Amino acid sequence: MKQWPLVLLGFVAIAAWPLLTDDVFLQRLGALVLLAAISASAWNLIGGYAGQVSIGHSVYFGAGAYASLVLYTQLGWPPIAGAPVGMLVAMALAAVVGTPTFRLRGHYFSMATIAAAELARILVANWKLLGAAVGLMGPPVPRSVVDLSFISPVPYHYLFLAVLVVLLGLTWQMQRSRMGYYLAAIRGGDRAARSLGVPVLRYKLYALLLSAAFTSLAGSLYVVMVGFIDPDSALGILISVKMVIVAALGGSGTLFGPLIGAIILVPLEETTNAVFGGSGTGVTYIVYGAIIVLIARFRPGGVADLWRSITVRMARRAA
Amino acid sequence: MLLEARGIIMAFGAFRAVDGADLDVAEGEIIGLIGPNGAGKSTFFNCLAGDAQPTAGTIRFRGQDVTRATPEAHARLGMARSFQVPVTFEDMTVAQNVMVGAFLRHGHRAAARRVADEVLAFTGLDQLADTPARSLGTPGRKRLEIARALATEPQLLLLDEALAGLTPAEVRLAIALVRRIKARGITIVIVEHIMEVILSLAERAVVFHQGKVIAAGAPRAVVDDPAVVTAYLGHHMKRVRRGGVG
Amino acid sequence: MILLQVVVSGLLMGAVYALFSSGLTLIWGMMNVVNFAHGDFVMLAMYAAFFAFTLLHLGPAFFIPGAAAVLFVLGVVVYLGLVRHVARGPMLAQILGTFGLALVLRYAAFWAFTANFVSLPDNLVGGTFDIGGLRIEASRLLGGVLALAITLGMHLVLTRTMLGSRILAVAEDRNAAMLMGIRPDRMQALAWGVGAASTGVAGALIAMFFYISPTVGESLSLIAFVVVCLGGFGSVPGALVAGLGIGVIEALSAYLIGAVYQDVVVYALFLLVLWVRPQGLMGTA
Ligand SMILES: Nc1ncnc2c1ncn2[C@@H]1O[C@H](COP(=O)(O)OP(=O)(O)O)[C@@H](O)[C@H]1O
Ligand SMILES: [Mg+2]
Repeated sequence: MKQWPLVLLGFVAIAAWPLLTDDVFLQRLGALVLLAAISASAWNLIGGYAGQVSIGHSVYFGAGAYASLVLYTQLGWPPIAGAPVGMLVAMALAAVVGTPTFRLRGHYFSMATIAAAELARILVANWKLLGAAVGLMGPPVPRSVVDLSFISPVPYHYLFLAVLVVLLGLTWQMQRSRMGYYLAAIRGGDRAARSLGVPVLRYKLYALLLSAAFTSLAGSLYVVMVGFIDPDSALGILISVKMVIVAALGGSGTLFGPLIGAIILVPLEETTNAVFGGSGTGVTYIVYGAIIVLIARFRPGGVADLWRSITVRMARRAA
Repeated sequence: MLLEARGIIMAFGAFRAVDGADLDVAEGEIIGLIGPNGAGKSTFFNCLAGDAQPTAGTIRFRGQDVTRATPEAHARLGMARSFQVPVTFEDMTVAQNVMVGAFLRHGHRAAARRVADEVLAFTGLDQLADTPARSLGTPGRKRLEIARALATEPQLLLLDEALAGLTPAEVRLAIALVRRIKARGITIVIVEHIMEVILSLAERAVVFHQGKVIAAGAPRAVVDDPAVVTAYLGHHMKRVRRGGVG
Repeated sequence: MILLQVVVSGLLMGAVYALFSSGLTLIWGMMNVVNFAHGDFVMLAMYAAFFAFTLLHLGPAFFIPGAAAVLFVLGVVVYLGLVRHVARGPMLAQILGTFGLALVLRYAAFWAFTANFVSLPDNLVGGTFDIGGLRIEASRLLGGVLALAITLGMHLVLTRTMLGSRILAVAEDRNAAMLMGIRPDRMQALAWGVGAASTGVAGALIAMFFYISPTVGESLSLIAFVVVCLGGFGSVPGALVAGLGIGVIEALSAYLIGAVYQDVVVYALFLLVLWVRPQGLMGTA
């Protein structure tokens, strides 16, 4: 990797971001970018590296978000303490739902994930314990510092950054190990992979378990910061879509693709929301949709791929 | 026997693509599997490699019953294959493709890379190690599939038309490669259309026709067998009449 | 008696499901590509019918064929501009292409027409029939019967005409069809046109008795997936049977366990079928 200095510089810039500005909107933006990068990077493990395009990851996001707030409303736990529980629930769901679903290929897999996620959303929206359609609230005022309820976005920025660094570190390790090669082989084609001794179902499951756990953690982190969820904001199809598009825009199946995608998309989303107010959500998703169509049509490899072809061309010109 | 297949039947609905075929493979030999298009050779390979579950019959490999075993279990036991239509991992480089095979017996990246480098040199792909697989042409892909299979360190290698679509010069290189693979102590079953290849490579030829083995033995004798001549001629006549399509 | 009433209204709705699902199964069987925006096509047709009536004062005799024509054009444009290019690309591009389109259509509608539900006046197609104690709204009856007739018509066109056999030839084996002098690209564009036109008719029919909202397409897409998967990928008769079946199952579950759970039953059924028989319930390959 000749790009290490660049990567280091990038992370220094991200770490310094909240210190460079007093504007709360911009500070909050930084935290939101990192959160989106966490969930898209988590999606990337199964959707990008293993090439299994899940459009139902909201299930795992919701598992984390709901675990954190249910344990608060029922037992008074600080929301962050629900995170490990959410991760376990998400992994259990992944094992139960993922195992039969993995036998499906391509479109069939994607459709099954959409159906499963919609199923979960409707069930939760009618489940009293989980606040039904109204949703759940976190602690209105922090009871102690472990509630991690801060007015400033800055502490969240560093919390999220720490999680992202851990996740990307793990992903980097994974990418270089046998598992990374096996997932790429699975993406290239089940049949050839199996002929070389790759236990396809097992590795898909490993990737999904890891992906589900971190997506769930992103859900918990989201409620820790926002303090409120309802079926749409935790389990809506747009939650899943956002992970896919952030990863795909940056470059799915690449280490930094999701982070790059988040750096581009989240400010776009927050700006449209700020400009258009309530109807901003609609405009945001028109833009999102258009971006996905354009990526699919012209650059399936995303920004990372664009970057690679530009550097290759520049290197060729220099030579 | 390294491999024993007995009474293999593979039915698609009422149609039997493989219809009671037997095959014995002894350690160290090269067997040529020939037969007209649609004879069921690829389907038979799929059954042998665990890619398809035969409707009936048993397959034993290295003394174990592998009839219902998964393809990955076959690979672990030491059976590797190439596909008639090559399936390379397009997003990966040539070396990375080969490393996927090498990881079967070597958990660490450095070890897998060492095996891959050795196999790349052996198959003459070392110059292309870092090019993306998607930029290879058909001959390159066929060679890469063989390299990938070799990296799993197999005892038995099934090659499905690994030489089809190559120029005469490339065919000569490929024949030399197959000989070198055999010299490594790897047993080979090769499906091939070109008679000359079978005659120069194989120690034994097995002829498939309509899912059945219609002749087996020394290549020269098999090629002159009247039943084989009829099967082939009949097929060629049909091809000529159909205008060479197919 | 009530149960019978429920079953009949389920069948009538199911006929409309069968109609737009036939369009999806046609595309799917032909190209092995899913249109994730299929339900949103139906949504567009519903709005087309609504505005044709409220702004242009056109009745069903005009807005049904009108919606079909508009959607036909949309289908062809989407094929030529997008699907043709992504169909051979990586799986991610295939999925994201029409999925992104679904988002654009859904939220453009949301933006242009607001999230409020609208509907055509009840009396557009007059009144309610009483058939031996069964009360059936005329609009639903018209919708169901027309949908059934058009679906059967589509099947006949596919199986009995030259054009249909050309389309099926491309679905069967693209290369062989090319050797026979058929241009697959044209046939596929046509299939996309016809598939989208089926959503045009279906949407206009549903609009006569169902509320219209920008997000209605999401659940309609899922219903089309379920129907196609149950009926066998690429089979119009299969889609017909499965569409009717899903209509009834949905109506019965709404009646027996509550309207909020009708989708739950349908989606759960879908997952179950995919898990148990990934090739579809009536499919063979
Ligand atoms: N999955 C399948 N379903 C139905 N028929 C098949 C299938 N696979 C192969 N066949 C048929 O089986 C026959 C043998 O095919 P194949 O094994 O590819 O022959 P060969 O490799 O000898 O040319 C052919 O007629 C082919 O059409
Ligand atoms: Mg063959």
